Amino acid sequence: MKYFFSLILLLTLICQTSQLYEGLSDDQLERLEHLSENIRCPKCSYGNINSSNAQISKDLKEEIAQLIIEGYKDDDIFEIMEDRYGNYINLQTKPKDNLVLYLLPLAILVISILFVTIYTIKKPK
Amino acid sequence: MMERLFKTIFLVIFSLLIISMIVVLNTPKTASIQTQDGKTFPDTTNLRQLNGELINPFEFDKGKILVNIWASWCITCLVEHPFLEKISEKYPDLKLVGINYKDTISKANNYLEKNGDPFVYSIFDNTGSFALKLGVTGAPETFLIIDGIIVEHRIGEVNQVIWEQDFEIFF
Repeated sequence: MKYFFSLILLLTLICQTSQLYEGLSDDQLERLEHLSENIRCPKCSYGNINSSNAQISKDLKEEIAQLIIEGYKDDDIFEIMEDRYGNYINLQTKPKDNLVLYLLPLAILVISILFVTIYTIKKPK
Repeated sequence: MMERLFKTIFLVIFSLLIISMIVVLNTPKTASIQTQDGKTFPDTTNLRQLNGELINPFEFDKGKILVNIWASWCITCLVEHPFLEKISEKYPDLKLVGINYKDTISKANNYLEKNGDPFVYSIFDNTGSFALKLGVTGAPETFLIIDGIIVEHRIGEVNQVIWEQDFEIFF
C-alpha cells in the first residue's frame, strides 16, 4: 500500500512538472534546472529559486522557461535577471569580479616560494 | 643580509594579511537586492484597470505618480492603506496609481469598498507579469515616478518615517 501511494505521488509530480514546462525539450529542461540553481530567490535572501517556495521564485522560473522557449541564451537570461535585480541575483561568482580574491593568495605563494628558494640557495653553508 | 631581507618580506606579507582581514571583517555586508531607482517605468500598453478600461500608456511619461503594489490578501497592504489615504489627501496633485497584484477583481473591489480607495485607478495584474517586469518581489512595494523615471522604490511598507526619510525630498 505504501509503495502504491508513493507511486501515485511520483506520477502526480511528474504530470505537474510536465504541465508547468510543457513546451520545453529535455535539453531546455536541463538548462532551466541549471539557471534555477544559479539564480537567487529575490525575496528570501538565501537559496536559489529552485529551492524556494516564494511566489516570486515560481514566477521567475516560469519566466525563465518562457525566455528559453523564445530562444534566449543562458548568458542573456542571467543578464536580464542582473539588470532587473542586480549582481545579487546571480549565485555564480565571476572570477573577473573577484580578481584580488583569486590572485592574492597565488601571488603570496609564488613570492614566498621564490624567497625561500633564493634564501636556501644563497645561504652560506 | 639575505636573512634580514627575508624576514622583512615575511613581516610585510604577514602585516598585509592581518590588515586585509581587519578591513574585510569591518566592511558592512551590503549584498541585497537592487531597487529600480533610475529606471524607466515599463510600458503599460494593453494593461487594464480594475473596471476593465485600458490604461493610457503615455500617462506615466509626465508628472509625479506614486505607484503602489497591493492585494486584498496582503496583510501589510492593509496596515499601509490608511497612510496612502493620508498621502492622497495631503498631496492632491500627486497621482496615486495602484497595481492590484495576483488578486481577483471581486476581492480587490471589496477591499477598496471596505477600506477606502486612495487610488485614481488600479491596474489589474492578476498574473503578476507586469509587476515582474517592474522588478517587484511581492506586495506591498511603492514606486515614485517623476516624468517616466522611477526616482524611489520602496520594498515593503511605506509609513510616515519611511516617507519623510525617502520620499518627501521629491516634494
